[in-house]
Amino acid sequence: MKKVLVIEDEIDMNESIVELLEQAGFEAAGVLEGGLALSKFNSMQPDLVLLDVQLPGLSGFEIAQKIRQTHGTPIIMLTARSDSDDIVRGLEAGADDYVTKPFQWNVLEARIKARLRDTRTSNTEKIVLGPIVIDVPGHEVRKDGERIQLTPLEFKLLVTLAASPGEVFSREDLLVKVWEYQFRADDKFKPDTRLVNVHVQRLRSKIELDPDDPQFVLTERGIGYKAGTN
Amino acid sequence: MKRLLRWLVAYFRRSLQARWVAMTVILSGLALTAVGGFLSYSIGDGLFQTRQQQILAESKRAVVEVQNTFNASSSTDTATLQGLMNTVVPNLESKTTNASRAVALLRSPGQNSGTYLQSPVSLGLDTNLVPEDVREKVRKLPTKLIYKSISLPAGHPGLVVGAHIEIPVAGSYELYMVYDLSSAQQTLDFVQRTLVFGGAIMLILIAMVAYYVTANIVNPVRKAAEVSALIAAGNLKPRLQASGDDVVATLGKSFNTMADSMESKIQELSKLSQMQQQFVSDVSHELRTPLTTIKLSAELLQAKRDELSDSAKRNLDKLQTQIERFEALLADLLEISRFDSKSVVGDFELEDLNGVVGVALAHIQPLADAKGTVLEVDIPAGPVNAEFDPRRIERVLRNLLSNAIEHGEGRPIRVTVGQNDSAVAVTVADNGVGMSQAQVARVFDRFWRADPARKRTTGGTGLGLAIAQADTQLHKGWLQLVSEEGKGTTFRLTLPRRQMNVFTQSPLPLRRLES
Repeated sequence: MKKVLVIEDEIDMNESIVELLEQAGFEAAGVLEGGLALSKFNSMQPDLVLLDVQLPGLSGFEIAQKIRQTHGTPIIMLTARSDSDDIVRGLEAGADDYVTKPFQWNVLEARIKARLRDTRTSNTEKIVLGPIVIDVPGHEVRKDGERIQLTPLEFKLLVTLAASPGEVFSREDLLVKVWEYQFRADDKFKPDTRLVNVHVQRLRSKIELDPDDPQFVLTERGIGYKAGTN
Repeated sequence: MKRLLRWLVAYFRRSLQARWVAMTVILSGLALTAVGGFLSYSIGDGLFQTRQQQILAESKRAVVEVQNTFNASSSTDTATLQGLMNTVVPNLESKTTNASRAVALLRSPGQNSGTYLQSPVSLGLDTNLVPEDVREKVRKLPTKLIYKSISLPAGHPGLVVGAHIEIPVAGSYELYMVYDLSSAQQTLDFVQRTLVFGGAIMLILIAMVAYYVTANIVNPVRKAAEVSALIAAGNLKPRLQASGDDVVATLGKSFNTMADSMESKIQELSKLSQMQQQFVSDVSHELRTPLTTIKLSAELLQAKRDELSDSAKRNLDKLQTQIERFEALLADLLEISRFDSKSVVGDFELEDLNGVVGVALAHIQPLADAKGTVLEVDIPAGPVNAEFDPRRIERVLRNLLSNAIEHGEGRPIRVTVGQNDSAVAVTVADNGVGMSQAQVARVFDRFWRADPARKRTTGGTGLGLAIAQADTQLHKGWLQLVSEEGKGTTFRLTLPRRQMNVFTQSPLPLRRLES
């Protein structure tokens, strides 16, 4: 059973989410205070974290940052402000994805499941991208023989791009393929492509020699991203 | 020449100062002409009067002298008399250039008696210059000195003086002296020239003074006009210079006071409106967390639906419906507050409007089916490409469509797409309840409903058209409507082809759908 940690100060919402998670077949636990979040994380070792950004004590950003220092555990942010800088801050702190309140439970459930799904979607065993060697089933990336630590999301992003080098993926393509977003015809607004930008930036900072002059994850101006073929 | 004239007219129309200077110069010119004319007349009159009196005195002396000469002569000898007579002219005549006097001693006509003596006449004097009426008067009034102004051949003014002379033996003679008055005329000419010249200089000085004086009055007014134009254009900072206690300074001071109070009022209002916008935004955000909790609780109840009683089930359904409405309202409120704070940025793409219309129609179809409304679509065969934010435009269209369905009384709704070089357009026309003019005027107001008593079926938030209008304005487009009570409503959305384009005409006419 996958374990989910819910860090949310609103006691009723925390309870409801935990209950809904349990109904959906997860093992779930809730924490109400930022200060207690990390110790609970360490004792529970969850497979996924739901994190509210506006927390008393330790803020959601700090918690995400602290978790990321040691773990690649998927983090999904819960936020009430869709148009503020909170989202970018949270993503930069290490969150993989976010949902804005008031969210639809089935949307959140789908996002959680997407993040917990096995990333071995590619049927290739091994992808070589210049000095970078990706061992897909082993969940391992090496550059010049040295192991690089990637979060599952970063790994999936890299595999998606590297599996077809030279092919350009739009940000929306990547949201569908990597984040498993489902766009409906009546989506009022464009999916937030900042999500893609921030994670591409994080991926570059880990695998590129110079993230400002990337060799492996290239920007195709006005369209999206592709893996370098050299 | 014509252009110069037009420029002049435009200049005078524009420049208050030019008009004032021109007016002053024209009026002073008239006054100066009147004064100058009067001066010139009285000086001339005076000059001639003086000269005339002088001439008359001279003439009187001359006449007496001549008469005495003849009276003193006791000679009856024709030759002696003739000789005496011949001395008269050279004695009296004077050849000074400017004050010449020509003389003629003529025999009065109609005398039968007396010796006929030859009449001496100054050289070059035409005796015809002496008017006939003067000669008659001389004969009728032998004791009087007769005079008259005449015009000399050279155009000089002249004066002729005549008197009766009785010459013994010879009979009645008339002595005429013709004076040339050109010296007086020259003096008058000089005076007139001086007057004209002086007047001209005076006029120029007046123009300059008028320019200076009006500049002193017009400049502050012009400055005030400039500053008030700046303020009217939205720049509330500029002020007038106001020093002193005169009327211009008072104008400046009161203007500045007015501008100050306006600026502070506007700032106060904008601060208030900002606070209000912030409040709406904060409220909307603060409501999100409790709403999420409510939604999740409803979700949990929904999972246990089977365990609930029928009444509880019905209540759960109501709860669900109202949560959805609440959520839609919250989303619309937030969207409006974004528009109010001007933080909305369009995501413009080059898109086919037909496609967006198609998506909107597909989305609204279930609602149309539920109401039994037929959607008739008339779109051009080719693509209708334009630069717009497809999600916003689709939202506008969905809003227009759901309104048309709600108020369309189940009658068919016609959707038309059109294009021209500079714009693209969609009309949504229904044959439904329609609206009065007063209602049409309020249709874009927030939370306004045409008929509050009317049963709502589509669950709009009351902000739909306000948001649609804001979205349209974001695209620099038009959202217009025509409506007639009981007959139906047509909405027309017109968008520019390119965001930098300006269009003046919609490709589609704005008219009601004839049933």
